[in-house]
Amino acid sequence: MRYSKLGRFTLILGALALVSALALAACKDDDDKDKTPAAEETPAGDETPADGADAIDISSVPELEDGVLSAGSDIAYAPIEFYIEGTETPDGVDVDILNAIGEALGVQVEFINTGFDGIIPALQTEDYDVIMSAMTITPERTAEIDLVPYLNVGQGVLVPAGNPGNILGLEDLCGLTVAVQLGTIQVDILNEQNAQCDEQMTIVTFDTNPLAVEDLRTGGSDANFADFPVAFLDAEESDGTLELVEPAPNPQPYGIGVRKESTELKDVLADAVQAIKDSGTYDEILAEWGLESTALP
Amino acid sequence: MDWLLAVRFDFDTVGDFLFDPIILRAMRETLTIAVLAMALGIGLGVVLAVMRVSHNPVAVVFAGLYVWFWRATPVVLQLLIMYFGMRQLIEDDLFRDNWTRFRAAVITFALNEAAYMAEIVRGGIQSVEAGQMDAAKSLGMTNLQALRHVILPQAFRVMIPPTGNEFIAMLKNTSVAFAIGVVELLNAAKIQSARSFKVMELYTVAAFWYLVMVSIFSLLQAELERALTVSERDRPETLLSRAMGLVAGRRGL
Repeated sequence: MRYSKLGRFTLILGALALVSALALAACKDDDDKDKTPAAEETPAGDETPADGADAIDISSVPELEDGVLSAGSDIAYAPIEFYIEGTETPDGVDVDILNAIGEALGVQVEFINTGFDGIIPALQTEDYDVIMSAMTITPERTAEIDLVPYLNVGQGVLVPAGNPGNILGLEDLCGLTVAVQLGTIQVDILNEQNAQCDEQMTIVTFDTNPLAVEDLRTGGSDANFADFPVAFLDAEESDGTLELVEPAPNPQPYGIGVRKESTELKDVLADAVQAIKDSGTYDEILAEWGLESTALP
Repeated sequence: MDWLLAVRFDFDTVGDFLFDPIILRAMRETLTIAVLAMALGIGLGVVLAVMRVSHNPVAVVFAGLYVWFWRATPVVLQLLIMYFGMRQLIEDDLFRDNWTRFRAAVITFALNEAAYMAEIVRGGIQSVEAGQMDAAKSLGMTNLQALRHVILPQAFRVMIPPTGNEFIAMLKNTSVAFAIGVVELLNAAKIQSARSFKVMELYTVAAFWYLVMVSIFSLLQAELERALTVSERDRPETLLSRAMGLVAGRRGL
């Protein structure tokens, strides 16, 4: 009896080990699949860019030696970056622009989904080469990393349809509850506004912007504050339950984040942004997303 | 040594935030949610456990289903459904005004905890010899009287260590309430670090306070276990009892 019990125990252990091994193998498969779409979209490392004449020399850029430009991104910010519904393929204006940049540099582009509040520290610990995540250039951020400008985007306040609070500007948010995403420029703008409010506003922060919008939709807050294109799309897709007000059409540039010491990478990225502007690819991408107004001046 | 602290770590920031009112207020929020949810969870857990060991088939099935349901989904998902889902379902202003983030968090953690406590209490009840029930009944006690005066007091001692574990887990699990916008300790640290980019510094502050809270409750739990031990010989030594022994001049440790 003792031995047969031991035998059964071993059998169970073995089955458990097998199941976990299978699960691990399945995970590995998924990883491989994740990488293929990006690989298909961009040409292989050694090919020359389509408009070969003014090819950018990337031989002195250590981050691109492996032929891959990896980008950290909080992929929950449609239409800037998001996963195509029902897939794990990233899409959006950021994704298209970085793919075009990768093409101009002759490297593959790989997106890595990262929470926005930890996106700068993760760049500093070399989780990826750049940040491509609708990141507005601010003095606080440029103290930590360098940013290469590529878009020019304003802010928008999202309110329930009919605008019951009659919110026309940021000052009208005083005394109300506003839902925003953690770590965004909107949190800073609201804190600045709060300093001038007689009645303080309550700022509720969430890990992702869709959760903040959900909080507005279910009445937990009176407004959501986000980048204009994002708030615009959220209003459009809300079946008329949400409405967009544009209190401060004060566009500020988005930048591709690089580590302070990545000076060569920063230079070739700036060259590549210029190259896709010159070739017309940049304008084509913006037109495709209906975001012509966000072009850099 | 340049691989060590390759990304700079600012010890001054840790010092600045350790006693920051925002962090301390958030720690109070963590404690309040954990204590309230645990108290409600224990109460409901005892009821569920009694239902589970009862002879009423409806009560047995209900308690079984309850435990199954609340243990089978992650607590962060339960929070999202309980807060956003309920508010979406019930579009009544009176309900929405009262179903606040804080209350949703306390109730959800309590309902979740009740499922685990029910199992702990059931284990405690079943650890008491069946003969005790017979003896109590032979004295003319009803089932509930026997449970209250004979079984539960004995089961209680068995339940203390796992319940202490549950409370310590609860203290830490409250951090997932950030999903619905509750600002407790970890998330206050996250919010502050998002502004200054001193992420590891703020995480260190949060870790320090979690360690302090859990240490205090671990000591209290040891004292409680000591106080509830019946026989002098089996009574476990605790830090406090050893210290008092030393002061009183009792020999050895």
